Amino acid sequence: MYSDDFKPENYRYVGKNAVPRKDAAAIVAGKATFLDDFSLPGMLIGYTLRSPHPHAMIQSIDVDDAKKMNGVMAVLTYRDVDQEWKMGWPPQKPILCRHLRYIGDPVALIAATDLETARAAAEKIQVEYEILPCVTDGMEAIKDGAPQLYEEFPNNVVTPGYPPFQKDGPFWHLIKGDPEKGFEECAYIAEDTVEFAKMPAPLAPEPPGAVVRWEGGDDFTVWGTSQSGYILKIINSSVIPNCNLDVHTFNVGGSYGNKQSLGYQVMSAALLSMRTGKPVKVFQTKVEQMTAFETRLGSQVHAKIGMDKDGVVKAVKAEWVVDTGAFCNATQGQVGVGIGEAQLVMAKCPNWDLDTNIVVTNKQPAGIVRGYGGQELNSCLFLLIGRTMQAGNFDPLECYKKNYVSDGDLYTWRDGRTWQAHSINYVKAMDAAAEKFGWKDKWKGWGVPTWVSEDGRKVRGVGCGIIGNADIGEDNTEAYVRIVPDLVGNKAHAVLQCNVTESGMGQRSNLVKMVADILNMPYEKVEITPADTGINPTGFGLCGSRGTITYGHAVSSAAEDVKKKLFDLAVPYLEVAADAMELRDYGVGCKARPDKFVTWKKLIMQDLTLTGYGQHIENFSTPNFFIVFLEVEVDKETGRVEVKKMVGGTDAGQVIDPLMIEMQCHGGIGSASLDTALYEEHIIDPATKRPLTYNMIEYKWRPFNNFPEYETSILESQFDTFQFKAVGLGEIAGAAAASATMQAISNAIGVSVSTYPATPDVILKALGKV
Amino acid sequence: MKIQEITLYVNGIQYEFSIGNKFGQIPPGETLSQTLRNRLGLTGSKEACGEGACGCCTVIMEGDAITSCMTLTVDCDGKHILTIEGLADPETGELSPLQQAFIDRYAFQCGFCTPGIIMTSKALLDKNPHSTEEEIKEALSGNFCRCISQYHVVQAVSDVAGKAGA
Repeated sequence: MYSDDFKPENYRYVGKNAVPRKDAAAIVAGKATFLDDFSLPGMLIGYTLRSPHPHAMIQSIDVDDAKKMNGVMAVLTYRDVDQEWKMGWPPQKPILCRHLRYIGDPVALIAATDLETARAAAEKIQVEYEILPCVTDGMEAIKDGAPQLYEEFPNNVVTPGYPPFQKDGPFWHLIKGDPEKGFEECAYIAEDTVEFAKMPAPLAPEPPGAVVRWEGGDDFTVWGTSQSGYILKIINSSVIPNCNLDVHTFNVGGSYGNKQSLGYQVMSAALLSMRTGKPVKVFQTKVEQMTAFETRLGSQVHAKIGMDKDGVVKAVKAEWVVDTGAFCNATQGQVGVGIGEAQLVMAKCPNWDLDTNIVVTNKQPAGIVRGYGGQELNSCLFLLIGRTMQAGNFDPLECYKKNYVSDGDLYTWRDGRTWQAHSINYVKAMDAAAEKFGWKDKWKGWGVPTWVSEDGRKVRGVGCGIIGNADIGEDNTEAYVRIVPDLVGNKAHAVLQCNVTESGMGQRSNLVKMVADILNMPYEKVEITPADTGINPTGFGLCGSRGTITYGHAVSSAAEDVKKKLFDLAVPYLEVAADAMELRDYGVGCKARPDKFVTWKKLIMQDLTLTGYGQHIENFSTPNFFIVFLEVEVDKETGRVEVKKMVGGTDAGQVIDPLMIEMQCHGGIGSASLDTALYEEHIIDPATKRPLTYNMIEYKWRPFNNFPEYETSILESQFDTFQFKAVGLGEIAGAAAASATMQAISNAIGVSVSTYPATPDVILKALGKV
Repeated sequence: MKIQEITLYVNGIQYEFSIGNKFGQIPPGETLSQTLRNRLGLTGSKEACGEGACGCCTVIMEGDAITSCMTLTVDCDGKHILTIEGLADPETGELSPLQQAFIDRYAFQCGFCTPGIIMTSKALLDKNPHSTEEEIKEALSGNFCRCISQYHVVQAVSDVAGKAGA
């Protein structure tokens, strides 16, 4: 579907699914390599003994018996590890530490010839713990007298402003206009404390892991399950002083933003490799992934939101407490994006006081998951925006159209700088998706079901939610495109050199399509280099849906650069200006005269190659957009909620890959997105503080035979972003689904529901039945 | 009776193993997943949850889709096992119709769970070549996919079920 002002380009590859993904045959044949399929000669297996207590101090630890075991090559405790080698942003947590801050915190590290031996050794380690009082709630943690996790974080508040996210200085508090005065002009105001704090698991199928080989001195070679080797490198480079990490990745078995820095996996393998002189693999079990790896952030907000009589938000005052568990990594970036995304959905609001605190608690670490802070805040704020819309009896769709960011609006992004939206307007996309869903017919008003069964037991309701993200232009990135004449014959191939890991988006192949289109050569003749920080130019990988714009821009620019060089070289042969030339058949031809032609092979010096360079400079001026419409059915007897139908809508600019973008939309059901409104949560035993949802049997996830009907509504405009006029999308596909579900449930049963997830007991409580 | 030796037939190749705890022997506690991945180098099926919940390690044994992480190798004596590596034509390398359908329909994203999903689908279609969409979804209900490729997977398997002959 196209919006009115868009004339589709007929590219050779872009916008089509004419060719399979480069790794498609390998994936369906079981030949694609993932980390756990990889081995090195002499490689040892690393294993971690973990804390059984949420907050404790190691009083004594005896590893002698473990060390004596046959096949055990090293046992490390905090006494063996420099306590100044700290992980996290800001640096906070030694790799092994006497002070244990969550159930699952590493106590000792073992390297052995095999996993069974390492596990047996762990059982021989004798530890005495001093048990400390613990705090597992973000709002409790900031109170005076709460147990303290880190000396450097008084009141458990993480020091704001770690430089990588905010180069101009700390940014954690958005102040604009005069909120108090703004509220005076509002007709409808909602104020409450709301939360999205059950810290669900992103649950990538492949657990996190790393293989590290210490090369001597400061050099380490790392193979990780990271979706971005470069992010792994920059976050971990500050742990061991002067360390030089050469990071390789394979195919990554799902990540959803979650498997990036892998601080503990990489650093524990690095320590064991330094001690043993051998490569060491640390590959977590599913239970370790679910209990000791990063969850979604906890989000608790006290907020007041005011809307004028026309349905435009005019004032926001909020205090956002962000629970990052026992470890803060990229959370400051996430909070910055959360603040930014709140402004995108309330873009006409001139008055803001949105304050934030990142808090550490005695729970497993929490950090990056698809949605990156935006989903966590959106899921809270929309409960209150909903109440203002209800008070004014506004149709939410009409309100979103009035409030969502469009060309010319200003907002402060995570870098603390003010940006102006450029080239975007999503009203048509909202209308198109609404039409596909049948919103006009289904929307009956706030608290009114769309359908009631004859016996009154089952009711249906509809809801819709929106979100957007400007991070799609984040981080500087570069690429080379090199033309390599074939050794035999007169053709050539191209090598795209850029650092992109494949973790499910098919973007490596889509970048190849862009090169093939610009150089007008077959897709099959363009290769892309393996993801590796050593041989490739800088690239932050695929995060924040940045792949389309940032890599698209850098890669297309590199291809255009080499094209220009070819044209320059062809002038003496064709005797026309560059604008009269075209690329065809591995050569340069004259547009007007088919007989005038010279091969690339002839233009490029014998045995040499020709390289183009391209770059993208960070730019936050074109936010993307996603709207979710959904219909739920609630059984008022059992409290069970079922999503019957969903429509995901957006305007993607030029679609690069029609089938993959559809799957990116579907992805909003997974990775702790939609189902955080229904059943996805980590349940913590209130007495022991242990996660009861520690494996894939206890933790609830949506099985294959329980998927709702899903339709996409994807408009194509022509955005002024880069050569192919597209925006990235995947990150936000599910980020507004949870808040939309709460709205739909509330409409179905006629009672406002604000507790995530809306499990049967929540529903029955709301209905006054328990 | 204590089992001393076992024979497995994996993708048509016969393997004889000695059971025990000495170096090179298969310990009684070793799972089929470990044997396939670590001893035979058949790393196509993945091990993820280790408790039969995610289906990533699915292989076909005597016609049934099984989770190889929940199966002890010592219990597989005399069994015929088919893994994802055994689907393509061994001589021409041509992919099976089911594998090709997964490519044609873009029925995967990260691809980690794909071998397990294909093997579960293959076992279903071998028994019930004209499976309905409901039967396909039911058969795959033990296969976890978090990227959410389910919609495309059902299309791919349905394509083959429509034509028959996985």
